[in-house]
Amino acid sequence: MLDSISFLRIIKTGFVNFWRNLWLSMAATMVMTITLVIFSTLFLMFMLTNYSIHTIQNTVDISVYFKIGLAEKQIASIQKSVESDSRVKEVTYVSATEAFNDFKDKHQNDPLITQSLNELTENPLPATLHIKANQLGDYPAIAQNLEKDQYKQFIDKVNFEDNRLVIERLGKILRFIITFGLGLVIVFAIIAILVIYNTITLTIYNRKEEVEIMRLVGATNWYIRGPFLTESILYSIFSTIITLLFLLPIFVKVIPRVVGYVNPQISFYSNNIFNFWILILMLFVLALVLSITSTTMAIRKYLKI
Amino acid sequence: MIKFQNVIKKYNNADTALNGINLQINHGEFISLVGLSGAGKSTLLKLIIGEEQIDGGSILIDDIDISQVKKSDLPYLRRKIGMVFQDIKLLPKRTAFENIAFAMEVCGHSLEKIQEEVPKVLELVGLLHKRDSFPHEMSGGEKQRVAIARSLSHRPVLLLADEPTGNLDEVNAGEVLDLLLKINQLGTTVILATHAADLVNKIKKRVITIKEGKITMEQEKGKYKL
Repeated sequence: MLDSISFLRIIKTGFVNFWRNLWLSMAATMVMTITLVIFSTLFLMFMLTNYSIHTIQNTVDISVYFKIGLAEKQIASIQKSVESDSRVKEVTYVSATEAFNDFKDKHQNDPLITQSLNELTENPLPATLHIKANQLGDYPAIAQNLEKDQYKQFIDKVNFEDNRLVIERLGKILRFIITFGLGLVIVFAIIAILVIYNTITLTIYNRKEEVEIMRLVGATNWYIRGPFLTESILYSIFSTIITLLFLLPIFVKVIPRVVGYVNPQISFYSNNIFNFWILILMLFVLALVLSITSTTMAIRKYLKI
Repeated sequence: MIKFQNVIKKYNNADTALNGINLQINHGEFISLVGLSGAGKSTLLKLIIGEEQIDGGSILIDDIDISQVKKSDLPYLRRKIGMVFQDIKLLPKRTAFENIAFAMEVCGHSLEKIQEEVPKVLELVGLLHKRDSFPHEMSGGEKQRVAIARSLSHRPVLLLADEPTGNLDEVNAGEVLDLLLKINQLGTTVILATHAADLVNKIKKRVITIKEGKITMEQEKGKYKL
């Protein structure tokens, strides 16, 4: 096992290697950074689009406004028949009285409205049903069904806001991000692996004499390999830090705006849709996997132990 | 101390470098291994430090079978064995002191131990005054003596010298040989592979002749004979 003196010496040699081939190290770090930036940007776009789709999907429903004064019994039978439709996920009934009270509560601070309401002798608001479908594509059919003649005498209006187009478009963007983005990430990951592989190979070549002597005088295999692995871990650390600096303004400025636009009711920071530190950790792990893979390949091929 | 039992070594499964070597080397001996280039001298030394693997027979060092030593344990074996070469292998950008310190550093010795030990081995090889000299500021003989000092820094029980005087003139070669004899007198077993006949004749110790991978002659207090 490595003792602490050897461990510190390995780390130190790793830093020295990084510093001695500064230009190469910078190139390796930059390529890794580009890979991480592309990955994180695509990841964020994916998350935002996905989030938008879900949010918009949740806002879609069909509102059925009954004619004023319709008997509760009649409404209950219509609700039952709607609920029996397998495409329907959920039906919420809001009676005329509830609607009236809600409206009153909502505007209790507005004296003009309160006064007008007090002057009314009967409730002007209709009873309503709010219907949610299992699938987005089911809404038009459910809405059409309610517009049939058998319901006409009971139902005043069927209101259905068709957001399908927006959702479909977002879905397309999502698919594009997944296919194109994944391809791009893979291409850059391969480039990063190749650049790091070459950098480490050059470092091994530069230290050929030292490595030979180390072997002969009895340095352990880990002592010989350690500095090269340290060097590649340094690429990961530095590239993650640079990517973090790039992402910070996006997180502070851009994402809250997008989230606020899609769903004004929630505060970006009050929920955990995007955890910045988990993303950074993911990036660091990705960087580590890439750099250690390529370094191990270079060590296996060129470092004779 | 070292026992070769019917050792066979082939390169690329075809060229037989060593063919049935039987040899016993005792503690504190000074052995000259002589033979033409390609006779198998270097291969024999490389087998001892585990740099090459045997294809048949066995090599025992203090009753430990080298072929059974795990690859990860080889470094610990090498710390017990010093090795010097014809091409010296000093790091050009480090001073004599730093070259020796480097060997101790990579084996995990503390800074205090290094500061204490390096001047001692430099003194032993008579180069304490050159401690801050770089390899290019030293003669071939001095460089080889630094390399010997480096190999002594772990206090090995065995010193293997592969043509250590190959690139040196007569005077320098003589100095290196004297140093090897001095180290032997201090108790370290020395195996010297060489084809410098006059040096071997001066030593008057055990001589083993290798020819085409086989031991063809063994002489106590012998001379260089092929």
